[in-house]
Amino acid sequence: MTLSYLLKRVFHALIVLIMVGVITFFVVRLAPGGPSLLADPKLSAVERQAIEERLGLNDTLPVQFTKWAGQTARGNLGNSFLYGAPTVDIIMTRLPNTLILAGTSLLLTLVVALPLGLASGMRPGSAFDRITSTVSLVFVAVPVFWFGLLLIILFAVTWRLLPAGGMNTAGQEGNLGDLLRHLILPAVVLSAASIAEILRYTRSSTRTVTTQDYVRTARAKGVGQWALRYRHILRNAAIPILTAVGLQLPRLIGGAAITETIFGWPGMGRLSVEAALGRDYPLIMGITLFVALAVVAFNLLIDLLYPWLDPRVRAEG
Amino acid sequence: MPKRLFSVGLLTLGLTLTFGTAQAQSGILKLPLINDPIMNPVIAPDLGSVLINKVIFSGLVRPNEDLLPEPDLAKSWTITNSGLVYTFTLRNDVKWHDGKPFTAADVVFTFKAATDPKSGSRLVSDFSSIKTVVAVNPTTVKFTLSRPFAPFLTLLGHNAGILPKHLLDGKPLNDATAFNRMTPIGTGPFKVTRVVPGASITLEANKDYYGNKPKLAGMVFKVVPDINAQVAQLRSGELDWVNVEPNNIASLQNDPNITLKQANAVQHFLVFFNQKNPLFAPAKIRESMQYAVNRKAIIDGVLKGYADYPTGTLPTALKKYYDKTIKPIQYDPARAKALLAQAGWKPDAKGQLVNAKGEPFKFTLIVDRGNPSREQAALAVQQDLKKIGMDVTLQPLEFATLVRDYLLPGKYDANLIWWTTPPDPDQYSFYATGQDNNNAFFSNSKADDLLKRGRETADVAQRQKIYNEFQRLEMTNPPVLVLYYPKELQAIRKNLSGVPDLGIRDALRRSEDFQLK
Repeated sequence: MTLSYLLKRVFHALIVLIMVGVITFFVVRLAPGGPSLLADPKLSAVERQAIEERLGLNDTLPVQFTKWAGQTARGNLGNSFLYGAPTVDIIMTRLPNTLILAGTSLLLTLVVALPLGLASGMRPGSAFDRITSTVSLVFVAVPVFWFGLLLIILFAVTWRLLPAGGMNTAGQEGNLGDLLRHLILPAVVLSAASIAEILRYTRSSTRTVTTQDYVRTARAKGVGQWALRYRHILRNAAIPILTAVGLQLPRLIGGAAITETIFGWPGMGRLSVEAALGRDYPLIMGITLFVALAVVAFNLLIDLLYPWLDPRVRAEG
Repeated sequence: MPKRLFSVGLLTLGLTLTFGTAQAQSGILKLPLINDPIMNPVIAPDLGSVLINKVIFSGLVRPNEDLLPEPDLAKSWTITNSGLVYTFTLRNDVKWHDGKPFTAADVVFTFKAATDPKSGSRLVSDFSSIKTVVAVNPTTVKFTLSRPFAPFLTLLGHNAGILPKHLLDGKPLNDATAFNRMTPIGTGPFKVTRVVPGASITLEANKDYYGNKPKLAGMVFKVVPDINAQVAQLRSGELDWVNVEPNNIASLQNDPNITLKQANAVQHFLVFFNQKNPLFAPAKIRESMQYAVNRKAIIDGVLKGYADYPTGTLPTALKKYYDKTIKPIQYDPARAKALLAQAGWKPDAKGQLVNAKGEPFKFTLIVDRGNPSREQAALAVQQDLKKIGMDVTLQPLEFATLVRDYLLPGKYDANLIWWTTPPDPDQYSFYATGQDNNNAFFSNSKADDLLKRGRETADVAQRQKIYNEFQRLEMTNPPVLVLYYPKELQAIRKNLSGVPDLGIRDALRRSEDFQLK
């Protein structure tokens, strides 16, 4: 892994970001409709004109583009139409909330999916394998909004065990117990599908590895069950799993639009929905660029992790 | 290792569960919002913002239970110079939430900003009649209007909350982001103590409130974007009041903790027929639509009965002005066909309506996507019109697209939409020739004259006469096809009392009387 390789990757990332920015700029502006602030049929022509002027929408598209490009190059992503505040500030207030939810569900995913996937991969065709396969199929197929509402109705309305939504009880911000209670349902909903997905990856990857000679050797020389599973099998089965997890990460950063909307979780996903519905151009641009940056960064990170996990990649690379 | 992790997980789960749920917050009313509000009544762009502003900010007057103006920040007022000069005497015992005294200067500041489009005001057209507003002394404000304007008092009590000059003077209201989003200061019965972006706004009772002392300890407005989630939270006790759609009722009807209330809404749902399109220009065609569409079926089927059957564009909620003596037009497709025949449209061999040149009666009906009641109503209209031989295409569109690309430029044939108006019969800007909100391009000189006189006449009896005449005119020359006057459906937890029989907008202006047991 040389410095020049790293520089090359960073340069590529920059080009990707610029392309994402330019394409998004034109796509959002050329889409039919427009900012929701202007979508009130009751607004008089005078009021409408004042709003367009304030939002800079009365300029022609090329002029708007030049202004935006100049601004962005200087690191200024502009003010949100809906919030009137700098786009970056708004994203930064929502990001920690999304990271809490995303981090928890990633943890939940790994803790549940890895051992189960490993276990069913080691005994393909067993009753246990068939059950986990069926259950994971169900979770991949179930629509998130339905599953979310179902859990709300059961746990919040019928049994009154957990809150139906929000991140904290108002006034209880900072109370960890309160946060955890609010976290359970959305984290379960958000991880359900990814548990199923990672479980399938782990299972098939494990299956491939268990038939390898070195596993048989290890077993023959009497390596214990845990060591066999986690040191010999999982480590070798890890690369495809890592790729799959890596693919999930940007989705987690971008927030889970549906889960966050149903549970009223004040994160990035709901912010994107709000920005998209309100046609808040600067906010849409800001979020898109931010998520693009995250994707690029994670891809780079995963690439750097491969050789650490698998010395063969290092030798070839 | 995984074993241990699992047990830690179980332990956490157990611990958190034993914390119990829904800590009883006595006297805190919890209401939903769908996104973060703008807490500034002059620039508030959406319903959620309007609602929260009702409890933070007071106006000069407020609507009473008959929707007539009663004193609020103004103790009394006089109207002189044949309705051109309004002089208000203000209370002298009012303090802003930050302790500073409220004076006439705040009122002057508010209405200067409200009439300046550059400030971001959404009330410019409401108050375009104001010529000057001056503070005669700290407790007297004098408005001079450029023309007599009867709805003036009603509009003062509608969305015109008064803003603090000492915090907002000197720059456009839109740029006061900290005030509008985090630290609004009003004179109302509740003051904002905490804002968590994207999540909640907490208010506490204003101990210095000049009116009845608030009975609630406070309020929380929670951001709950999804209506189904709002209903679930109402049932679990995490919200106390949710306004619902008819299709939500099934899940609430059998809940012993919830009351369903109907309130009058000053709204009319309608179909615009674009009168720039020669198809809809003749009054006969629009008259026939009233017979052709089975509006009773829409009210019973789509709205589950939660709406009043319509006559013209003045809804029943305007009790004083709605003309009860007019007989509503009932579904009568034969009569519709007869009227269409008089206008030159007759069915051909296949039952399609054609004119003398053999051209079909063909148009597109647009409706906003995503609201089940409106989409189903539009479908019903399409089906009814098909039955009498019209070729109607239904096109659902995203609301912003519908408004910006179709409605405002006048590039549409027919559009199912609705108007929410202040509690006053004035509909000049909606149905007078060439006005901003006359999106159907209705033009009738008699209607223009009535609407103009209606907004200029202060005397209630005379005004009633004028609007009765307007409503009669609408029966034979309807500006739009009115479908129904919906009821506001309020689902309220039973332990909430003291709520007046008003729509939520106006009820919240009396929030100091709300009580939770």
